[in-house]
Amino acid sequence: MSTRWSEIDRMLKTINLLRTGIDGLSSDFDRSYRWNAGWAGEASTPKTNIYDLGGKFEVRAEVPGFSKEDLSVKVQGNYLELSGTRKTEPPQGYSIHRNERNTLSFTRSFTLPADIDAERVEAALQNGILRLSLAKSAAATPRQIPIG
Amino acid sequence: MSETAMTKKADTQIEPTRQLRSIVPEVDILENESEILVNADLPGVTRENLTIHIDNGKLTLTGTRKLNVEGAVVWEEFGDVEYHRVFSVPQSIDTENISAELHDGVLQLHLGKTSAAKPKKIEIKTS
Repeated sequence: MSTRWSEIDRMLKTINLLRTGIDGLSSDFDRSYRWNAGWAGEASTPKTNIYDLGGKFEVRAEVPGFSKEDLSVKVQGNYLELSGTRKTEPPQGYSIHRNERNTLSFTRSFTLPADIDAERVEAALQNGILRLSLAKSAAATPRQIPIG
Repeated sequence: MSETAMTKKADTQIEPTRQLRSIVPEVDILENESEILVNADLPGVTRENLTIHIDNGKLTLTGTRKLNVEGAVVWEEFGDVEYHRVFSVPQSIDTENISAELHDGVLQLHLGKTSAAKPKKIEIKTS
């Protein structure tokens, strides 16, 4: 009986070892886009960051090769939707040696931690990065309360 | 330096300095009769932070991106990185005839071919 327990114990240790390995893989979040994508798989949606600046959220997304006209942003309550289509068709008369950049057509939606004011959303596109500034609605903005 | 301090130092491995993560950018390589065209996705890289070197038949592309983040992170999928990729350039490329443009985070690199490498039509003589 005791030998059995030690076997189970050894097995569990192996599982733990495997798990740390997997964790290391997924935390390597932007090592490479294609050859070491970890759990993210093929990049079918743009990588996105969300920051909380107290009174507003800032969202940044990697959208290389997209023009202003190719992107659309929708906002409602605490729901944010980004979508876009990029064309990477080769120009006329060229033959293709390598094609890693894919024609990207995506829709990605987020549920933000707080409601946002749809009237006070700003979007800017610079060097292939989309930057959104989303002001929180009055109810969700932190307020200083004086102690009386 | 005391003896204990010396042994302690020997125990610790060489500490790496803070480095940027290195990413291999995705590229498309196209060719026509007069040039090879390389398109690379480099989101967030500005013109000042991008260098292209050609030396000894190797084309090196290096670009850094700094995000200058403010506030607390709610969700994060990308960060400050260094894009780095090396290509072998064939002899048929005229190194004097290379141009590059950067638009919306996409680098377009035009590598012109030497006149000797351009296709030529050969007349067949009949006797």
